[in-house]
Amino acid sequence: MSLFERYKNTIKILTILIIISPLFGIVLAEKVNYHEPVDVVAEKLHLHELDIYHTPFDNYEVPGLPPTIGYIVAGFIGIGVILGVGALLAKRLSK
Amino acid sequence: MAWKKAKKIINSETITALSVLAAGIFVAMMFNWPIPGGTSLHFVGGALSGIIIGPWLAFFVYVMVLTTQAIVFHDGGITTLGANIFNMGIVDVVVGYAIYKLVTRAMGNTRRARIIGAFLGGWLGLAVAGTMAGIEIGLSPSFPYGIKITVPAMAIWHTLLGVIEGIITAFVIDYLYERKSPLIEIAMKVAPLAQNT
Repeated sequence: MSLFERYKNTIKILTILIIISPLFGIVLAEKVNYHEPVDVVAEKLHLHELDIYHTPFDNYEVPGLPPTIGYIVAGFIGIGVILGVGALLAKRLSK
Repeated sequence: MAWKKAKKIINSETITALSVLAAGIFVAMMFNWPIPGGTSLHFVGGALSGIIIGPWLAFFVYVMVLTTQAIVFHDGGITTLGANIFNMGIVDVVVGYAIYKLVTRAMGNTRRARIIGAFLGGWLGLAVAGTMAGIEIGLSPSFPYGIKITVPAMAIWHTLLGVIEGIITAFVIDYLYERKSPLIEIAMKVAPLAQNT
């Protein structure tokens, strides 16, 4: 039995949630012209973000995809990374 | 310290549960509810994680979630990763878990006690974690406003919005118990470890 077999239903629910997540993370955010409060304060104080590292999917955007689809793909990438790390550790421990 | 305590119960089963819970928290955090006026609300889940897998393992849930957010999505940032893990993975988890345990010990391990305990744990855990973030921001040399401004700003918002966190925590705990989720089986196994520490 696969490690995650027992959590099939939970993973199905997470899949549905990821698919509808852009409604909140993108659509509603645009409707109310939302900006991260800490970023707004930083801008007012003329603080600049340290350019010390780069990430492949900044702000849950996937290059070449529209924001809503990118947000969904980013969600799957995120849970893929987390479950992948978990699976690797679990397999190592079961040996 | 969390590793020393958690390693007594870490095995492939608990790691699998931990990563499923981490995936759930990651997805919940993607539900960023913008609130007109400039702020937003998303579920943090510290109390929920502490209640399900105990505070020692819950710490590692936040290490996984927040590190993934910072390294893959530039969310939260690498320089604030330690503070974020402290606020969400320690303060929120420990406060939420302790309140839940106090309530279920006082009222007995009934469905009603679990719902009330999870609600209060979720609410107050977030309120204290938000206040802690206010102290950290106020003490930061990069930020010109002191804690007299940052603490009330963070504490008031997190105490208000924490009510919703409490409602969601209570709903999810009740749902998992009523559905006899595999996560609850893990909760039963790790409970003695958490109580003995």
